[in-house]
Amino acid sequence: MTKPVTIVMVEDDEGHARLIEKNIRRAGVNNPILPFTDGTSALRFLLGEDGSGLANSGNALLVLLDLNLPDMTGVEILKTIKSNQHLKLSPVVVLTTTDDKTEIKRCYDLGCNVYVTKPVNYENFAAAIRQLGLFFSVIQVPEMP
Amino acid sequence: MDEASATESATDGRRSARRLPRALANARRRVDRLRLGLGLPWLFALGIVVLVVIGLASALLVARTRDSAEAANHSLEVENAISTMQLLLRRSESGQRGYLLTGDERYRSIFDRSVDEVLPATDRIRILLADNDNQQRLLDQIADLLKQKVDEMKQTVAHYDAGRVADAMALVRSDRGQALNEALGPPLATMKTTEQQLTRSRTETLRGTSLQLLVINLAGLATIVLLAVAATIETRRTQQALRAASEQLAGVNEALEAKVAERTADLVEANDEIQRFAYIVSHDLRAPLVNIMGFTSELEALRGDIAERLDAARGNDDPQEAARDEQLARDVDEALGFIKASIGRMDRLINAILKISREGRRDFHPEPIDMSALVGAIVASLEHQLQETGTKVRIDRLPPLTSDRLAVEQIFTNLMDNAIKYLRPGVPGEIAVTCVGSAAGNVYSVSDNGRGIAERDLERVFELFRRAGTQDRPGEGIGLAHVRTLVRRLGGSISIESVPDHGSVFRVTLPKRWTDVSAREQRL
Repeated sequence: MTKPVTIVMVEDDEGHARLIEKNIRRAGVNNPILPFTDGTSALRFLLGEDGSGLANSGNALLVLLDLNLPDMTGVEILKTIKSNQHLKLSPVVVLTTTDDKTEIKRCYDLGCNVYVTKPVNYENFAAAIRQLGLFFSVIQVPEMP
Repeated sequence: MDEASATESATDGRRSARRLPRALANARRRVDRLRLGLGLPWLFALGIVVLVVIGLASALLVARTRDSAEAANHSLEVENAISTMQLLLRRSESGQRGYLLTGDERYRSIFDRSVDEVLPATDRIRILLADNDNQQRLLDQIADLLKQKVDEMKQTVAHYDAGRVADAMALVRSDRGQALNEALGPPLATMKTTEQQLTRSRTETLRGTSLQLLVINLAGLATIVLLAVAATIETRRTQQALRAASEQLAGVNEALEAKVAERTADLVEANDEIQRFAYIVSHDLRAPLVNIMGFTSELEALRGDIAERLDAARGNDDPQEAARDEQLARDVDEALGFIKASIGRMDRLINAILKISREGRRDFHPEPIDMSALVGAIVASLEHQLQETGTKVRIDRLPPLTSDRLAVEQIFTNLMDNAIKYLRPGVPGEIAVTCVGSAAGNVYSVSDNGRGIAERDLERVFELFRRAGTQDRPGEGIGLAHVRTLVRRLGGSISIESVPDHGSVFRVTLPKRWTDVSAREQRL
């Protein structure tokens, strides 16, 4: 029996957050979404009060990560997640306006699972998110040991 | 270099930059002083003048010495001649006396030999004294007396020869000869004294002149020695001043280099700053744009929902109401359409900035490029447009390059694109790609027979988001700005020549071999 996947959305732009949520819901994904608008609070949730990540061990999490955050770059959060033994198996989807190839490569090198560029063209954006939603619905997030 | 030391060196550079004009002025002043001072050339000239003066003075004095010596000699000669004359007179007299006393023929021959030479002797003295009127007068007197004396002696001898011994004796006894002898005494003495005095004074002059010669030579020697010393000192001073000036110049050079390095660092920093700025701005502008576009689309969807709800609430019977609904829907669509079109355009502009900033930061990888093949491939990829417009392309044999392939490809793709895009309607296009080598690198020309560009727009077309001519073709005004950025980064330059309604020629000069340094220099 797997726990339902919780979507952790780290996005400082509330408009983007709203659009992402709308499109995920439109794709028929009803998993809970936990929004965070800055890196600090997101990390506090992910790592727990003790900062070890143990609190989320066994929780099925999927992280939607924006790279441009007010207090830190999303890359740092990505690094933290992928180097934490309790969190490293959680899939991370990087969602950002940057379509810089070196940036994309860097994210994949750090263990990012999917990289999505937010296009200005809304149809493309909505389509990308909905496909992501389909992906969420079939994804099996492994439980942490 | 860490930040602290960079700041430090920048401050250093600035300080040395401030010092620079002062140091330069110092060096210049030093050199000026050298020029104003009694320079070596002057000393040299002075030395030559002194030598010439000594030479002239010596020559003059030597000439004068010779004159004095000759004059002294002359006086001696005169004295000598006078003595000779006196001797001849004495000898004739003693010959006469001997003959008269003994009648011996030997005395007679002594007399004969001597008496006839007495008067010629005066003639010789006369010649010697030609330059002295006083002596000449004395000589006239003497010659007169001598003539009388000679006559008297000849007469006595003649009497004796004729056997008139008594007459001869009477003549001798008359004391006339003695009287003549006595009369001859004073003028002869005066004459001799005069000549002796002359000799003495001339010898004096000679001695004086010799002394002068010696003094002048010694003085000249001393002057030359002084000049040599002065020249040595001057040389040393000049050398020192030159060394100081060259040291100062070296300092100035160093300061200049520091300044150049500082400027270079500043410019590189400024350039990086601009690139970063462009990058950040374009990203940050994009985020709100995503929202605007997203919620505009949401609104569009909402409009449909609202219309449906309205219809459901009101019932859909009244054709008048339906027409008004349709009108409203069209208005809303129009407004949303404008918003979306503008967002699309803004997105393209931001993308263009992003692209250019990215090109400015991309690392270049030089490799040998067969330019004929590269341009040929571009033409092949444009085949469709070429056929559509009936355009012919001529590619000359193009010399190869060692450069960044992608950048060169983008440059020529843009230029060829433009050439096809801006042909004159109804005129079959003719495009030529040629190349000439030059010292600066290879100059590739892309020429067309298209619509051309007005002169006032020639510079504008290279600016970002600026376009020229009739705006009847799609585009954002990015292509040529991008091309120029790339060409500059490749260490080259681009120029344009155009005649409206006849065509344009774009000339791209690229270094035959791209190196990081050449590009960097070009960029600064």
